[in-house]
Amino acid sequence: MSTNQLWETKPLEIWDRAKALRAYWQQSIDDSAADTKLLLAHGNTGDVSWRDYFSNLNIIEDNPVGAMMASTSDEFSRKSRLASEVRGWGREICGYVQNCWGAQFLGYQQDGSVFPYRDLSVPFTDPCDQHTKRGQQCMDLSPIPRWGGDWPIYLGEDDPARDKELIETRVWCTLKIIADIERIFDTEFDDASFINDIKTERERSDHGIRIMNLMTKTPSPLSQKDLYSFYTLGGLTRLPPEILGDFWQALIDEIQWRADHQIAAVGNERYRYMEAHPSPWHFLKYMRYLEHYGAVCIGSQYSQMMAGSVSWNKETKEFERRVIRKPEKDVENVKTREDAVRYVLTEARGHRFKDDEYFRKNEITDFAEGFGVQGAILALWRGGVGCTLTRKEQGLRLSKMGVRVLHYEGSQPGDRTDLDEKRFLDQIDEWMECQGLQKIS
Amino acid sequence: MNKFSSIFENRHDYARDWKKRSGGKVLGYYCTYFPEEVAYAAGILPVRILAKHFPDDTTDRLMYGNCYVTRDMFNQFNLGHYDYIDGLVCLESCQWWYNAFDVTMQVFPNLWSHYLFTPDYPDGNRSKDVLRSELSVIQKKFEEWTGKTVTDAELDNAIEIYNTNRRLLRRLYELRRFNNPVILGSEAMEIMLANQVMDKAEANKMLEELIPELEDRAPGEDRVRFILIGSETYDAELEKLIEGVGGNVVIDDLDNGSGYVWNEVVPLKDRLMAIGLRYLGKPHSALKDNVWRRRPEQIFRLSEDFQVDAAIIAKQIYCHPHGTDMYAVWKLLQERKIPYHTFERDTTLPYEETRLGVEALIHVAKQGMTRANGWS
Ligand code: SF4
Ligand code: SF4
Repeated sequence: MSTNQLWETKPLEIWDRAKALRAYWQQSIDDSAADTKLLLAHGNTGDVSWRDYFSNLNIIEDNPVGAMMASTSDEFSRKSRLASEVRGWGREICGYVQNCWGAQFLGYQQDGSVFPYRDLSVPFTDPCDQHTKRGQQCMDLSPIPRWGGDWPIYLGEDDPARDKELIETRVWCTLKIIADIERIFDTEFDDASFINDIKTERERSDHGIRIMNLMTKTPSPLSQKDLYSFYTLGGLTRLPPEILGDFWQALIDEIQWRADHQIAAVGNERYRYMEAHPSPWHFLKYMRYLEHYGAVCIGSQYSQMMAGSVSWNKETKEFERRVIRKPEKDVENVKTREDAVRYVLTEARGHRFKDDEYFRKNEITDFAEGFGVQGAILALWRGGVGCTLTRKEQGLRLSKMGVRVLHYEGSQPGDRTDLDEKRFLDQIDEWMECQGLQKIS
Repeated sequence: MNKFSSIFENRHDYARDWKKRSGGKVLGYYCTYFPEEVAYAAGILPVRILAKHFPDDTTDRLMYGNCYVTRDMFNQFNLGHYDYIDGLVCLESCQWWYNAFDVTMQVFPNLWSHYLFTPDYPDGNRSKDVLRSELSVIQKKFEEWTGKTVTDAELDNAIEIYNTNRRLLRRLYELRRFNNPVILGSEAMEIMLANQVMDKAEANKMLEELIPELEDRAPGEDRVRFILIGSETYDAELEKLIEGVGGNVVIDDLDNGSGYVWNEVVPLKDRLMAIGLRYLGKPHSALKDNVWRRRPEQIFRLSEDFQVDAAIIAKQIYCHPHGTDMYAVWKLLQERKIPYHTFERDTTLPYEETRLGVEALIHVAKQGMTRANGWS
C-alpha cells in the first residue's frame, strides 16, 4: 500500500471473460456479413426481448457500434459522420447513429471490410426522439422491411384504465413485428423458449439490482469505467441469454466478494461522485485523472439502468424493484406468445410509461442519496436529445441537496469534435480544489 | 388582411380580451397534433404557443441543447407574455417541446396541465384506438377543469367550426395555385398564424369577408414560385425576405402551415374516433414519418400542384426531427430536379446570408423558367 492508499485493491478477474465476450460480439458482426443470418438493425426492442428468439437473426445495435468507432478512431468516425451529413442528416443527430450509418454510406467498416448491410430494421420510439428516427438511415438506403413500435407514455397520476389501452398498443405492435418477421422471412419464433425465459426473467434482472446495491458500498468495489464496459457488453451488445447469464453471475460473485472484503476499485477513495448518461468513450481517462484526488465515480442512472425500474427505500437503505402494475395472469399461467408479451409489458408499466424523462429528473436525488455522493459530473451534449434532456434540471436538484455539480460540454459521446479535453481537466482541477481537495497521488 | 396581421401582432391582447368577453379558459399547446376540437367543445380557447425572440437571460439555467423555438417559448412565459394562459398541454411529439413544457411547469406549477399521448407510429392499426382512448381521457379532464360536461352537440359544433376553418384556409391556398396569385406568401402566413391563436368562429367570419375581397384583387406580379419546407414557423419574415428579391412562397410543407389544414374531420357517430382519425391521417410531420415515409410524396405533390420553381428548406438549429428528415427531402428534390436551398436558423433570421442564398436560388430557378417559357 502506498502512503495515500486507504483501501486494498485488486485487479478484476472477470476482465478476461469480458474481453472474450467482446471478441465474440465483434466476430458475430463480422460473420453476419458472410453468413446467411438476417441482420437486424437496432436490437433495442425495449422491454420484450423478442429478438433473441429468432434463431436466424443477428442483431447489431448502432449505439455500441458508433460508440466503439468514436473511441477507437476519430479519423474514421469523422469520415463516417461527414458521409452522413453530406446526404442531409443534421449535425445535431446522435453521434453514434451518424458514425454507424455514415460507415454504411461509405460501404466499409473501420478495418476496411464490407459494411454489413441490414436486412430489417425495428427502431423503437422512446426515450429519445433519435431512437424514433434513427432506423431511417438504413431504411432509406434500400427498401428493407421496417417496423415502428409505439412506446406510449404519459405524465401525471396513475390511471389503470388508461394504462390498459397503452399496454394493448404496445402488445399489438410487438405481436405484429414478430408475426411479420415470421411471414416475410419464412422463419419461426421460438415461443417455448420465450415463455420459459419470461418465467426466469425476474431472477436474471435481479442481477442488475444486486450490482446496483453492491455499488453503493464504500469503498466502491467497481469503477464506473468497469461498469460501463460491463453494461455495454452485458446489455447493449445483445449476446445470447445463456452466455450473458453466466457472465452476470460471475460478475456478481466477484463484486460481492470485493464488497465483503472492502476491496476497492480505487485505493485512495475519499470522495464519491456520480454522473448522468454516457461519458465520452474516447476520454474515459478523466476518471483516472480524478482518482489522483481520491475521487471515484460510482455510476449513473444510465449505467445502473440494467437494474430496471427501482426505487430507493429510505428505511432499508436499498434499491428495490418497483412494480406499479401487476399483470392479470400470474407468470405460471403464461401459456402463449400473446400472454407472454402482455405479461412483460404490463409489468414494465411502472418503468416505462414516461419513465425516462420523469424518473431521470425526479429520482436523481434518491440516486445521489443511495450512493452517498458528494459530487456530480453532468455532461452537456449538444448532439442527440436523450443524452442531454433534463440535465440542467438534474444539476439544480442535486445542488439543492448539497451535491456539488460540474457541467462540461461536448458534441455527443460518439463525436469527439467539441470536447475540449484540456479544458475539461482544468475544470476538474478547479472543481476539486474549490471543495478543498488536492491531488494525493 | 390587416385585421389578421394586427391580431397576430397583438395576439396576447386578443387572448386576454377573449377571456374577458367569454369568461372561458385559455389553453396553450405546442404541437400540431393537438386535437383542438375537444378543448373547443369544452368552451376552452386553444392557443398555439409561438416562438418570438426577446433578450433571454433565464432559459440557460434550465435548458441545454434545445432549439431556439422552445427556448423562446419558455422565455416568453418568464417574461410574463403568457400570463393569461390557464393551462398547458403537452403531446408525445418533439422532445424539446416536452422540455419546454416541463420547465414551464416547474416555474409555473399552478398552471393546469395534461400530457396527451399521440402515437409516434400513426399508421399502426392500434394507433386509432389508443388515440381514441387518450381523447376520452382529456375530454374528462377538461370537464373536471371547467366543471362542464361536453355533449355530442358541442363536439359536433366544434368539428363543424374547425372543418369550416380548414376549408376557408384551403381556399386561400387554392388562390395561390393561380399564376400571379392575388395573395403573397407573407400575407397568407400571417393569416395562418393569427388563425392559430384565435377563436375559430371569429376567424371564420373574418375569412368569409376576406376571401371575396382577395378574389377581386388584380393578379400579382410575376415571381419565382417557392415551396417552403422545414421546422415550424412563427412569423412571416422569411416570406417577406423572399418577396423582397422577386420570389413568392406559394405553398409550404410546415406543421403550422399546410399541415394544419390539409385534411378535415370526417364526421362519424363516434366523435372522438372521428377526431382522432383526422389527426392520424394528416400529412405526417417529420417526427411522425417513421416507418414507410409519406412526407416526401406529400412534398412532391404540393410542389406539382402549386407549380413551384424551387424549394427553400429552413431548418432550426438543433431541430432533430428535421435533421433526420432532410436526407429524404433532399433525395426527393434531387430526383425530381427541383432546385433547392437549405439553411439553418434560430428564431431570428440571419438576413443578409439568407438573402444571398435566396438570390442565388432565384438565379438558378430563373434559368429553367426562361427556357421553359421560350424566353430569350
Ligand atoms: S442521443 Fe443519447 S439517448 Fe438519443 S439515441 Fe443517441 S445515445 Fe440514445
Ligand atoms: S420540431 Fe424542431 S423546431 Fe420544433 S420544437 Fe422540435 S426541435 Fe424545435
